[in-house]
Amino acid sequence: MTPHGTTGETTTDWSLLARIGRKDEEALSALYDRYGGLVFSETKRILHDTGAAEEILQDLFFQVWRMPEKFDPAKGSLAGWLLVSARNRAISKLRRSNGASEELDEKGVAFHVNVESHAAQNLIADKVRAVMTNLPENQREALECAYFGGMTHSEIADKTGEPLVAVKTGICSAMEALKRVVR
Amino acid sequence: MSDGEHIRGEKLELLAAGALPEPEAAAIQAHVCDCADCGTNLAEARGIAALLGFAVKQDRAAGTVKAELMARIRANRESDERNAWPRKVLHEPEAMPRESKAGISWWTWALSAAALVLAVVSIGLSWQNRRIAGELTKERQAAERMVQDREQIEKYVGVLAAPDTITVKLSGTGETKKMSGTVKFNAKVGMVLYAADLPKLPAHKSYQMWLVPTDGAPISVGLLGPGGRAWGNMWTGDVPANTAAKGFVVTVEAVGGVAEPTGPEVLQGSE
Repeated sequence: MTPHGTTGETTTDWSLLARIGRKDEEALSALYDRYGGLVFSETKRILHDTGAAEEILQDLFFQVWRMPEKFDPAKGSLAGWLLVSARNRAISKLRRSNGASEELDEKGVAFHVNVESHAAQNLIADKVRAVMTNLPENQREALECAYFGGMTHSEIADKTGEPLVAVKTGICSAMEALKRVVR
Repeated sequence: MSDGEHIRGEKLELLAAGALPEPEAAAIQAHVCDCADCGTNLAEARGIAALLGFAVKQDRAAGTVKAELMARIRANRESDERNAWPRKVLHEPEAMPRESKAGISWWTWALSAAALVLAVVSIGLSWQNRRIAGELTKERQAAERMVQDREQIEKYVGVLAAPDTITVKLSGTGETKKMSGTVKFNAKVGMVLYAADLPKLPAHKSYQMWLVPTDGAPISVGLLGPGGRAWGNMWTGDVPANTAAKGFVVTVEAVGGVAEPTGPEVLQGSE
């Protein structure tokens, strides 16, 4: 990162958040362009409902606009927070709860990958897909059922017919495999 | 559940992946609030789980979503600015030294003047609103009257053109021998249209038209002159529908008309 808050040609999240703190609408617009697609795609994948996904997308970015000072790049990651928060909200909606989802602390996601450019995002996407493709079928299915389907390990075991312990182990193994992406 | 005082990594991974049932997840989160180490480990696990968002086929939201978001933040920003302004004005005097009272006074006067202008503008707009509302009411009433008139005219024309409408010629007798009149009568709808060539009467007198039924006393159709219902050069009146008429008579009565004929007959005619 340069002193002016850029990495090469890309303005850093930190710089954009600082500008959002000064109520710079263009900064939020840039942040939306950077991560809006990721958030929307993930939420739509969970809900299979474009309208509901768009609603969550807009609410999350509005939250960033309202409280940019809560995101400290030294302690957490905006991209990670956006993705996990979007997932939690979508799962909450999926379960038809009263809309109250786990309120994720802004420092609650340690995301050690720079995805501030679309090129970097594409690179990470390729790596994650490669890992997921190479996972044993039962591990991949268990992880996807939990993360995208909002299913507990017991529910996954019921669905797949796998023993509960195998489901738990499978999810943990899949998570371990994903760690390779960031190493 | 825990390894010594800390939550095992597998549990944190299951929580981050969203695979733990609610009570267990809540218990771990409660622990994490008070345990920095576990908090860090959970954040790491969440960071790994967040990678799954990249595995999804990328899609884009409709352009309107961003437009709505930007409109929303603009409105929020304007609202914040509006809310911040009075607070500043209200708080400043307390912090300012006495020597700065002139500044406060200036702002106070400026705000007072602005408030006064706003009040005057509001009163003006309110008055204008009332005036426009009044004009609209008048226009509406005029339009309603026009509709009623049109319906009445259509009714008259309908009666005049109806094949079962009869025409009765009226003529004078004696001193009124030279006078004449015409009656158009439709028994089915009970409508009478009439015209007559009659001399002007004294102010306290009126000509009154009567329908003489085949059975019973004459029925007042109306007046020819003040108090009557004119339609162009004709006069109109209503009688009970399906009244069989034997003839029509015009008498001279007290102004405003009477319930039954008492004055001299000036015109008469029969079917």
